[in-house]
Amino acid sequence: MNIAVCVKPVPDPGHYNRITINPQTKLLDRKGIPVIINPVDKNAIEAALQLKEQFGGRVVLVSMAPPDVGETLKEALAMGVDEAYLLSDRAFAGSDTLATAGILAAGLKKIGEFDLILTGSESADSGTNHVPSQLGELLGYPHLNYLIELNLEAPLLKMKAKIENGYIEYEGFPPLVLGVAREINTPRYITLMGVVMARNKPFTIWGLKDLGLDPASAGLAGSPTRPGELHLPRHGRKAELLEGEYEIVAGKIIAVLRGAGILA
Amino acid sequence: MLKLSEQQEMMRKVVRDFVDKEIAPIARKIDEEDIFPLELFQKMASLGINGVFVPARYGGADLGYTEMTLIVEEIARHSAGFALALVTHYMGVYAIMNWGNEEQKQKYLPPICSGGLSGLSLTEPGGGSDFAGQKSTGQLDDGEWVLNGRKCFITNSHCMRVNVLTVRTGEDAKGRPQISAFIVEGDTEGHTPGRKEKKAGLRGSFTGEIILNNIRLAQDNLLGKPGDGAKISLGTLGEVGRVGTATVALGILRGCLEESVKYAKERIIYGKPLSNLINIQLMIAQNRTDYEAARLLTYNASGLKDVGKPCVSEVSMAKYFATEAAFNAAKRTMDLMGAYGVITDYPVSRFLRDAAASIPACGTSHINQIVIAAGELRK
Amino acid sequence: MLQKPGAVWVIGEINGEKLVEVTLELLGKARELAARGGGSFTSAVLLGNETGPLAEELIEHGADQVILVEDPRLGLYQNDTFARVLERLVKKHGPEIVLFGATHCGSELSATLAARLKTGLSAHCIDLKINDRKEFVQVVPAFGGKVYSDILCPEARPQMAGVKPGIFPKTERDAARTGAVLKENAAVLDSYQSPLRALRVVQKQPRELPLEKAETIVAGGWGAGPDAWPILDQIAVELGGAVGCTRPALDEGWTKGEHTMIGTSGKTVRPRVYMGFGVSGSAHHIVGMKDSGVIININNDPEAPVFEVSDYKVVADAKKFLPVLLDKIREHKGG
Repeated sequence: MNIAVCVKPVPDPGHYNRITINPQTKLLDRKGIPVIINPVDKNAIEAALQLKEQFGGRVVLVSMAPPDVGETLKEALAMGVDEAYLLSDRAFAGSDTLATAGILAAGLKKIGEFDLILTGSESADSGTNHVPSQLGELLGYPHLNYLIELNLEAPLLKMKAKIENGYIEYEGFPPLVLGVAREINTPRYITLMGVVMARNKPFTIWGLKDLGLDPASAGLAGSPTRPGELHLPRHGRKAELLEGEYEIVAGKIIAVLRGAGILA
Repeated sequence: MLKLSEQQEMMRKVVRDFVDKEIAPIARKIDEEDIFPLELFQKMASLGINGVFVPARYGGADLGYTEMTLIVEEIARHSAGFALALVTHYMGVYAIMNWGNEEQKQKYLPPICSGGLSGLSLTEPGGGSDFAGQKSTGQLDDGEWVLNGRKCFITNSHCMRVNVLTVRTGEDAKGRPQISAFIVEGDTEGHTPGRKEKKAGLRGSFTGEIILNNIRLAQDNLLGKPGDGAKISLGTLGEVGRVGTATVALGILRGCLEESVKYAKERIIYGKPLSNLINIQLMIAQNRTDYEAARLLTYNASGLKDVGKPCVSEVSMAKYFATEAAFNAAKRTMDLMGAYGVITDYPVSRFLRDAAASIPACGTSHINQIVIAAGELRK
Repeated sequence: MLQKPGAVWVIGEINGEKLVEVTLELLGKARELAARGGGSFTSAVLLGNETGPLAEELIEHGADQVILVEDPRLGLYQNDTFARVLERLVKKHGPEIVLFGATHCGSELSATLAARLKTGLSAHCIDLKINDRKEFVQVVPAFGGKVYSDILCPEARPQMAGVKPGIFPKTERDAARTGAVLKENAAVLDSYQSPLRALRVVQKQPRELPLEKAETIVAGGWGAGPDAWPILDQIAVELGGAVGCTRPALDEGWTKGEHTMIGTSGKTVRPRVYMGFGVSGSAHHIVGMKDSGVIININNDPEAPVFEVSDYKVVADAKKFLPVLLDKIREHKGG
């Protein structure tokens, strides 16, 4: 099986409280925050590796990101991915999900044919969950998102996609583009041996020209949506301190509940 | 300048990820209940940790002692007790790898690289520092070695898959005791764990007695030649055990540094963070310097071992310095944290106990200083 | 900007035989956007099989027009069939703005449609407005809600946005409202054979009062510890409310499940009273509860970020405080 996994390096969510907006430039300041593979993309890598272990084949990683994410992507190689492709170009900056999907599609087409293209259901930083569906549309492949189960009874794929309080059961045939949810599996730990092997695995970087893309289709130019102003949320609540022994404080809370009509 | 390779840095990250998810959350429980999580030890094997410096053909990860050191440091940062169990395991592995013949290596290394626990049993009720004074015996009887005696304060005593132990097998030409080393599988008849000790520190590993009661072993179980016991044990202790113990202390030192910085930033006193006070800053500087010095000594020792250079003095310096510094740093960090340092919700009091327990392990500070002095005076 | 009549669409979603709440929440907002922009037309679009009776409900909740497509091929939701029918409708009627509820299906469908139309889509907006320059501004949280970003779609049309359930209040049902029903067909599917097959929908409604319906929510965070939950349950019972949680508590396995998690990737709630115990106030949790009526928080860290969004602050160990509060509430009710 030929499986591709699309992966996004993101700022480590554990460090979000260090993100600020520069008051002069009004731009985001993410300096010094470590970058990791989008957590649910690791579930996608794990799903791909499990299929490879079951059916043989190769797993290829594709990522659209700035050029300095090499070490982060090598972790995927250390997990067991066979090759990595980094799509990187200044022209890609500012891409929204549609432009990103277009760039990923171009990269995937240049590498070759795939039976399955997997990715995480949503990205931790922007919280958007469009890429699986949009990538599928741009490649002309059927697609699903939020998979919690994926079983290949060759050649048929049986899948369950998460919905509120349940799931939808689907059947389909490769090629497919699938977004996976965190419930689908537990990503494996990287082994020391995996780290050693990662060093020698092919790692290719392609830019706009390598992909033969029109600059108008990439980056900010190729994005129908544009970011506007950034704000820090302001809440305007007073945080009146309720002090005293626990019994007294509990009494004060009850007074508040009465005022709100919850208690008589 | 100490610099780890990119590959080593990635390995550190990989181990840290495992530790953060699997060991850190249960570190306090390991200490409070004095449990050794054997399943976790077996899980680590699949990451290549348990046979890190063993060649691939025997089931190891084919790496070196620097990698061993960074693994032990990451684990010890959260559970020094569990880290010590791993260091003891590494000693058994090293003894077999270095002095075993090809059959022994093929037979015993794969199981202990893939999840079985190993160890090194030297100490006896009669003395640990007095290596030559051990009284357990090994006698050749009808083509088999028969072992009798008692070992005590043995880490991993109660669940070893493969043990490496020493016994007195006779006298040499000059009438001095002849000590030999043997490989004994844990479930061999006559090889039984005895009393389990309750420790004040480095809890999270079994430390106890091993009773040797007429254990009958084939000649293939002799490690090296008769009389090689001292060479094997002291070589193992001197080049792996002590580096490992130094690294356990290094992990504790890093724990003290990180906890003291975190506390100093978060604790508000007199309306400002504690870190504003000069005396607190001095303590943090001392923690940092102690950690840095121990780090450089320890990685220097393992680095020398990786390139095959002699490092007995360097190892002893690292061990003696790091363990004593860890104890001082733990005490200092408890002072910094005031009453909170005494509350067991915080790990610092555990760091103090663990550091204290690391001092007599693998050779006391005094023994190590004697080794260092001997190296100087020989010149 | 908003010039064409019928300019703001809400794509309706059905669960079982009923409209989902978020569809009804969006209708009110759609009317407001249309009014601000100059057009007054709000259409709801409903795809399904034998869903005609729901058209009236959509009109009574604010739609001026319902575009209805009833076809057996649309009985079960599937992204490819639904997107093709919607694409046809959009190209025929040319709406200015199209809103989707950001449910799992809604998100997937909106993304699929946006790619087919080569237009812009914003995800899980927490606000939608027309600014002074008459631009349609979509406000989305980033980095888990640490930062809010305005998103615009200056040229491509229609401008599409997804909004999570609970962000906007549901409009009141007005039985006197009237509107038009425009029937369209799914003929575009005649020449389409789907390579995917949706077999069935499996759903289990949880037994507890859903968070979005509760007047009072008591929420436990990591600081509440594993033993707090029975006490939280009892307090909820006494107050006639529901128990919510944060992501860390959910991940520890202490809670009843993901449907009780409040946050950007969980539920948005606006109860009359929200009381948090041991909740530190991560940005993404705050996005999920910041519009509650009265917010009380109990946390032993006086600097906890959650206090920035609280009306009342109690610095205490949640674990120790909870039983005291439960007793006091019972005492008050009994006496």
